[in-house]
Amino acid sequence: MSYILRTHHLSKRYGAREVIADVNMNVKAGDVYGFLGQNGAGKTTTLRMMMGLVRPSAGEIELFGATLQGNNNKAMERIGSIIEYPGFYHNLNAADNLEIHRRLMGMGNKECIDDVLSTVGLLDAKKQPVKNYSLGMKQRLGIARALLHHPELLILDEPTNGLDPGGMKEMRQLFLELASKRGISFLISSHQLSEIELLANKIGIIHQGKLLEEIDRETLQKKTRHYLQLKVTDERKAAFILEQKLGITDYVAAGSGVLRLYEHMGQPDQVTMLLANNGVGVREIMLSGDSLEDYYLKITGGERLD
Amino acid sequence: MINLIYAEMTKLKNTKILWLVFLGGIPANLVSLYAFLPRVTPKGTAAGFDVQDMFYRQGMTITILAPFLFALITGYILSREYQERTINQLFSYPIPRVRILFAKLVTVLLLIVLTSAISCVTVTATGLIASFTQQTDFEIVWSGIRMNLLACLLSFGTVPVAAALSMVGKSVIPAAVLGGFATIVTLFGEMGHGMDGILFPWFMPYWPVRELAQGLADNGPNPYVGSGTVILAATFIVSLLFCITYYKNAEIHSGS
Repeated sequence: MSYILRTHHLSKRYGAREVIADVNMNVKAGDVYGFLGQNGAGKTTTLRMMMGLVRPSAGEIELFGATLQGNNNKAMERIGSIIEYPGFYHNLNAADNLEIHRRLMGMGNKECIDDVLSTVGLLDAKKQPVKNYSLGMKQRLGIARALLHHPELLILDEPTNGLDPGGMKEMRQLFLELASKRGISFLISSHQLSEIELLANKIGIIHQGKLLEEIDRETLQKKTRHYLQLKVTDERKAAFILEQKLGITDYVAAGSGVLRLYEHMGQPDQVTMLLANNGVGVREIMLSGDSLEDYYLKITGGERLD
Repeated sequence: MINLIYAEMTKLKNTKILWLVFLGGIPANLVSLYAFLPRVTPKGTAAGFDVQDMFYRQGMTITILAPFLFALITGYILSREYQERTINQLFSYPIPRVRILFAKLVTVLLLIVLTSAISCVTVTATGLIASFTQQTDFEIVWSGIRMNLLACLLSFGTVPVAAALSMVGKSVIPAAVLGGFATIVTLFGEMGHGMDGILFPWFMPYWPVRELAQGLADNGPNPYVGSGTVILAATFIVSLLFCITYYKNAEIHSGS
């Protein structure tokens, strides 16, 4: 599968202060890429560089296979974005704001405005001045604008900011629907771990300007999945019994008598009884495993998300 | 480019700028109506209205208001993108920033022309009626229209200065302060009727107005036109180059 967005050793320096350091990101077509980090970690600056709003001090950005140079790039026609805050002309209504966008993107068909407003559920409010919109409505209008020109990639900076839990869920569903039905790729930055966990199939963790990890969902699930940990008197015998009697094959012998079972986690009593009846002593048993939050804390050195 | 200019005009819908343009043109109309007040000649006979005098008064009024008015319009059009945080979106379009800047400046020029046109509605209508009824020569009306067109062009010469201030300050205030100062200087300059005032770039639009006037202290062609034009052209070019460089290279950060 081809990459639609890559950064190569991307850095940004303000005087002596390096705010982005040697970031290498890889977004493939079809990815919903969650860009996770605390406030001030460097997410928005990275996205600004991708949109040509800030010049990198070093490194380069590759969009759809071509190197980005300023904003004068045909690749921008294939991207929709909301950077930091969806800004609108408050004296105009939603339809007029989108009409400006339509003209500047050189789109011919006016009907696309109603279509996209309908997608985000703002068709009934299209004649209302944007100054009367709530923040949630502005976020949705921002998504509508980002979608209007049928982009292949949406770059969204904290798109659920200011939304209530219901609005966040709606937005999440919309993103997943757009990804699955229209094949739009997403790069979504957020400091909300739960949002990213529910949306992304690939996660990039940025901390103090450095991309600490880029990990896909499967690998992450492997790293963070729960298991039943047993400390037994005879590790080899215990493994043999569990395989033979309960058919458990997904386990890891971690040494020093420790076994980690990724199956039968719901029946610890059955496991201990079986082992005891077959002459294997169980010294310790516990349900364990990392959540994404634990994982995040581990790799960022224990700093919590805001 | 047409789409860009159309977009810029659309952005002005429902804003106070259009009222400002309209209200800016009203004083010049009122002042030109002064010509209809009953007047007598030194011989004691009733004096008729004078279309040339009407154009002169209209020109004086609009050129006094112009520096403030046009700086305010320029400042608003440039700085609102920062104020309303639409600059992120604007600079994300696959359109060179210089074209965006030119579209904004063309929009300012169109509003300058519109303001000037509104300011001379009364005198032009009066002049046309008078020329049809053969009370006056059409050449006088045409010279008044020419004066307004030239004043528009000369007023545009200082627009990039206001644009530069508003994009650096990211606010309409620096441009408004500059415009206010220039209007005060122009007011005193016009009261003095001096010829050398046009060396101040914001005063240059008064040159064609004064050319139209009669009976001022110093008659004849203005000897400072060449120098004034060079100064205005230099102001225009330098400030425009600054605007282009700044707009092209500006980084847009949080809160910009």
